Amino acid sequence: MTEVLLDWQDSERTETISVPAGETILDAAAATDIGLPFGCRTGACGTCTARLLSGDVVHHRPPRALKDRHLADGYVLLCIAEPTTDTHLAVGATVQSELVPNPWK
Amino acid sequence: MSDAEQPAESETHDHHDHDHEGPGYATPQAAIEEAEPEQTAYVMGLHVGQDVDAPDFLAVVDVDPDSDTYSEIVNRVQMPNKGDELHHFGWNACSSSCHMEGLERRHLVIPGQRSSRIHIVDTKERRDPELTKVIEPEEVYDHDLSAPHTVHCIPDGEILISMLGDADGDLPGGFLELNDDFEVQGRWDPPGEIEMNYDYWYQPRQNVMLSTEWAAPKTYYPGFDLDDVEDGKYGQRLNFWDWEAGTVEQTIDLGEDGLIPLEARFLHTPESTHGYVGAALSSNIIHFHESDGKYHAEPVIEFDDREHEGWDMPVPALVTDILISMDDRYLFGSNWLHGEVWMYDISDPSNPRKADSISIGGYFGDIEQVQGRDTVAGPQMLQLSLDGERLYWTTSLFSSWDNQFFPEEAENGSVMLKADVDPRTGTMSLDRDFLVDFGDLPEGPARAHEIRWPDGDCTSDVWQ
Repeated sequence: MTEVLLDWQDSERTETISVPAGETILDAAAATDIGLPFGCRTGACGTCTARLLSGDVVHHRPPRALKDRHLADGYVLLCIAEPTTDTHLAVGATVQSELVPNPWK
Repeated sequence: MSDAEQPAESETHDHHDHDHEGPGYATPQAAIEEAEPEQTAYVMGLHVGQDVDAPDFLAVVDVDPDSDTYSEIVNRVQMPNKGDELHHFGWNACSSSCHMEGLERRHLVIPGQRSSRIHIVDTKERRDPELTKVIEPEEVYDHDLSAPHTVHCIPDGEILISMLGDADGDLPGGFLELNDDFEVQGRWDPPGEIEMNYDYWYQPRQNVMLSTEWAAPKTYYPGFDLDDVEDGKYGQRLNFWDWEAGTVEQTIDLGEDGLIPLEARFLHTPESTHGYVGAALSSNIIHFHESDGKYHAEPVIEFDDREHEGWDMPVPALVTDILISMDDRYLFGSNWLHGEVWMYDISDPSNPRKADSISIGGYFGDIEQVQGRDTVAGPQMLQLSLDGERLYWTTSLFSSWDNQFFPEEAENGSVMLKADVDPRTGTMSLDRDFLVDFGDLPEGPARAHEIRWPDGDCTSDVWQ
């Protein structure tokens, strides 16, 4: 069991959840009635993207929505991510929107 | 070549003197003449991609100007799960089901673009529709397909859905078939006929289907990245199928002229081989038609990129939706980033002539206010009344792309707007009395996407 601090990027809100071994952060949050954004639940869509502020996670499947530069920047997909240490994550819908900026701007 | 010069009636079809027994209308002209003005609109409403912890929904919108609740959302059917990204949807039957006595145009088939979940909604009570069945994603993945997009009924009462990816959100896409009890029948096409998929339209009397190309779901889901365009990860081809055989007969590579070919529309006249595709990124309208046994395609309308003050690169119009009026006289479209809706006269299909346009503000032009409400994104999904006199549109494209290009849409929600169209003079005017505000809903602001009418519409009805 690891402790995960969820930190909503655009507000003061934080929550701490316990994630049992073998479970994803998205499922553990849902089990405690904490709603996080998600879509495909298979690592393809990136709707559940969060950013690792400290700690480590492993992805249960290839995180296909994330490019190498995103992985290098600490982005993770909560639908397939399991924490391996106590973890602090930036969460909320705006994290996903950081992945690809407006290319014309 | 005009339609009048086309080879007359196909020898394989003999539908012209029959009594019309099934759902829909005998001809496009009958749809125009017999349909009552629309009173109810079904609109996809979304919370996906926002910090609103609620499922997406089907909105029932009152579009009857004589009603006390005109231009209001009068009911909603919430989906049982969150995270679907409801996107495009369709009817279990349309005018192509003309021999299916007993079949009714009554059930909406509503896929989740991100979840790959498929919902069936019964609209027997038009203002009080009911969710009756859910096909879970695992059943779709079993056929190595995901990301359902366009839903058309096919003439024998079954339903075909274009699927943009394989079970992993990668390529190739394909087509999923449901039977008339809304059970997954299996894959319609031999796997590997196409790589990318998006929209499709079929013209049964010509035994042809056209499918277009977006990209692999894992490519477009997270957002639009120009590197992916440079890497060839976005589509630029039109695939013409043998409709009976379910095989691709001809592929036209449009090159840079056709980058991201999205909505595909044949003319409604069932004999016609003419139609259009909106190439979103290259911002061209591609006209296609058959002659000498082959399809030909070329740009006939080109929207120039525009310089945006202080930005690095000129911005494309991004043509995200097009539709053809039921009388095949006008082509309408939306330039999402430039913020314009437009209409072209297509009496001569190879030579469209601009009729009119309205700017509501996207990245350019003045941001229009309707009833005090700012529009926070350009016009996107369009729907036209069957008589061609009222054009409606919403403003959300796709949650992650909205967040990238019009982030205020997540905070303020979409609007549904309307223009009055005069088909005789070829003009449009924004109706400043009509506003459906998706920003003011109990769970929080919502996005609004595709629009459908209970009695069939210009973007779903096909004639056999």
